[in-house]
Amino acid sequence: MKINFLLNKKPVTIDVDPMKRLLDVLREDFQLLGTKESCGEGECGACTVLLDGKPVTSCLVNVIQAEGKEVLTSEGIAEEPLGKLLIDCFDETNAVQCGFCFPGFLVSSYYYLISNGELNLEKIKKALSGNICRCTGYQKIFESVLLACERK
Amino acid sequence: MKSIRKFDAVPKLNGSWKFLDDYSYQGMIFGQLLYSTCHHGIIKDIKFPAGFDLQEFTFVSAKDIPGENIVPEPECDQPFMAEKEVFHYGQVIMGITHSNLRILREFIKKTGVEFEELPAVTDIKECLDNEKNAFGKELTIDHRNGQKVDPTWIYHHKIYYTPHQEQAYLETQGMIAIWKPAEKMMFVRGTAQCPFFVKSGVESIMGKAAEKVEFETSEGIGGAFGGKEDFPSLLAGITALLSYKSGKPVKTVLDRSDDIKITTKRHPSRIEIKSWTDPKSKKIRKIDIDYRLDAGGYQTLSPVVLSRGVLHAIGGYDIPDSFIRGRLMRSNTPSNGAFRGFGAPQAFAAIEAHVENIAADLKIDPLEFRLVNLLRKDAEFPTTQLISEDHLYDCLQRVIEKSDYQKKVKEFKKWNETHKDKKGIGLAIGYHGGGYTGNGEKVLNSEIKVIIRQDAMVEIYVSSTDMGQGAHTTLAQMFFETIDHPREKCRVQLPNTSKTPNSGPTVASRTIYIIGNLLHDLALEIKAELGFENLEEYVASHQTEFPQEFRRNFIPDPSVQFDEETYQGTGYKDYSWAACVTEIYYHADTYKVELTKNWSVLDIGKLANPKIAVGQAEGGIVQGLGYGLCEFFYKPGFGRMHGFTDYTLPTSIDIPEMDIEFIHTDSEIAKGLGEIPMDFPAPSVRNAVLFALGIQINEYPMTPERIFKSLTADER
Repeated sequence: MKINFLLNKKPVTIDVDPMKRLLDVLREDFQLLGTKESCGEGECGACTVLLDGKPVTSCLVNVIQAEGKEVLTSEGIAEEPLGKLLIDCFDETNAVQCGFCFPGFLVSSYYYLISNGELNLEKIKKALSGNICRCTGYQKIFESVLLACERK
Repeated sequence: MKSIRKFDAVPKLNGSWKFLDDYSYQGMIFGQLLYSTCHHGIIKDIKFPAGFDLQEFTFVSAKDIPGENIVPEPECDQPFMAEKEVFHYGQVIMGITHSNLRILREFIKKTGVEFEELPAVTDIKECLDNEKNAFGKELTIDHRNGQKVDPTWIYHHKIYYTPHQEQAYLETQGMIAIWKPAEKMMFVRGTAQCPFFVKSGVESIMGKAAEKVEFETSEGIGGAFGGKEDFPSLLAGITALLSYKSGKPVKTVLDRSDDIKITTKRHPSRIEIKSWTDPKSKKIRKIDIDYRLDAGGYQTLSPVVLSRGVLHAIGGYDIPDSFIRGRLMRSNTPSNGAFRGFGAPQAFAAIEAHVENIAADLKIDPLEFRLVNLLRKDAEFPTTQLISEDHLYDCLQRVIEKSDYQKKVKEFKKWNETHKDKKGIGLAIGYHGGGYTGNGEKVLNSEIKVIIRQDAMVEIYVSSTDMGQGAHTTLAQMFFETIDHPREKCRVQLPNTSKTPNSGPTVASRTIYIIGNLLHDLALEIKAELGFENLEEYVASHQTEFPQEFRRNFIPDPSVQFDEETYQGTGYKDYSWAACVTEIYYHADTYKVELTKNWSVLDIGKLANPKIAVGQAEGGIVQGLGYGLCEFFYKPGFGRMHGFTDYTLPTSIDIPEMDIEFIHTDSEIAKGLGEIPMDFPAPSVRNAVLFALGIQINEYPMTPERIFKSLTADER
């Protein structure tokens, strides 16, 4: 089945099993490897992308659900001015450890910046509570997002 | 030392840094494991499902192994794949490939293995309580002084339990193997923390069939925490055999559900402590510790975990008369393995709770009781090793001061008198011996290599991996900062067993402590040997002499002597020290413990990179808080576990604000950091619960269910 959507701002068409997970389509059919699979059941947030501007765990989304919509992945966000700012803040604080969860954190943090962006630790914690990180203890992630809120 | 940025942070964020599953090779197919769903039994029959073309699959089982069916470990008792009898849930029976991963997974799911079931031990307490389950070598540290027990001394006898803990690295286990028949060479790439362990695993299974085995890590290693110390050898061996038999590159990546069910975890423990305290002097006069670990189905590396466990069992206390006995117990659950702390977190979970219990029973302030009994300078460990510094005391004093502990104790007690919800504050101390235990570093004889190129580029070759802890940034830094060389001209190379010398495994808080300090020394040696002030200028004016290679081995300190039989001598040359205070808020309606604040003070010596050090400490402390608060397997028969839906990890809204300080950073050397943050947080949570509710819970973690049970038991 042919499915059309906007992927990182470019229109794409793909002939694929409509029930294939969006995660697998991104990784296998578009070689967008920044989106990671970790738990495969929507718990950890490593595969988070924006679907029509809202964060979703792409392991729980079938590609048919993207039909006619806009998908923004960590690679797309990395090209946006606010994405670049976030990357610089994560880098400056040495927040990144193994990094496997970070593309997901980048997407959720970017969503926080565009949807709220308030310099508020409690709101940031809540906005990131769908992403699990096992290395950092989160504190440096909060620091980075606070820094980005300040500088945006 | 400066907080330079990590060289790999930006590529990790924009998705260009490659983790194992991001690699593909021409003609690559997929591998997966068929494992036992029976805890103990004889394999009777394997029934493949109808509707699949078996020709499309490649199968390997024990009978296909050209080499030995033994995973090389400190105790070589675990096969790669079961032959007839399975000893635990999750034991691998077959490796299977197909070109389509979804078809392969469906095929394995529908494959039925028939077992003749045999008696099995799957309950943690059933395993640990029954002495008949003991296996392997028993360890004892006998530091009894033959004194008579004074009848006025107060006897305490308690048993402490800790559960399994899942490493929960975000990237699951994965390996790619490529058999090159023309050269009889097996190339393996994987996510692993000990490249040479994986190499010897593949050599063991391949035997003479492979003339050469090369292992290289993936660019990114998505977390490990000990979980990628020994299991990768098994996975690499089976994946290699699949590539050998199919003739194609094979990639085996476990999904989360398989990973959580079959890989190694932290050993559950049962620690029984008997102590005799003099109520007048408030000194613990005598202690007897029975330290037991559930090893799982096989011993594998558990004897080494046991060794570190007994060496940390007495905690940070100076007790003149002690006897410590350590044993491994066998259960029919997957073999447990390395996990940050390696036996020490269990030890501190028990002793820190025990000390708190005595203080509560004798109505002594827990801080005062710790200070009276603290392991101070010139005291000795049960191994007779003398304590050369008073840094544990310094950590404790500092954390008390900065948390305003004494004032809070008074305030919280008063607040609790008039509120249904309660506030709690808990103390805990800890330490961690750096590097391999006893004579281990001498035996490892780690080697490092540096090549200086014609453009003054310094390439560092070590087998230490960067699994997120920032080792490759910090190791390079320890070299280039020593000789004032520009950072962009110094790079640690990706570990590859054919190119990097064996600088040992990336474990035991040894990477900066042993390898980093070695690089620092080598940098000074090269500077003295070549006689330069500025390396770039020197290379420019001596072009023909480059590239040049330099090597150096670890030089053991001759004063470090340890008797492996009697457990007397120097357990570890250097110790890192720590103390923490955790504050909690207890919600009476839901029995939930909320962590509100944690102060931790650590002495790890010189900080190689302060921001990276703080990040390491924060991450370890959160793992430790999770261990104390919410992490456990609700059913140790692992078939019931699914993934992150039923294993509860701390998220961003569960953690307290953390205040971390390092002291004695003007020290000459950088000591171990990796593990110590894991050692002390759990008992501080437990002790805060005792403060808030007045109940002594001796089983971790402090879940609402456990608190509810303990409170209602008291009412009855």
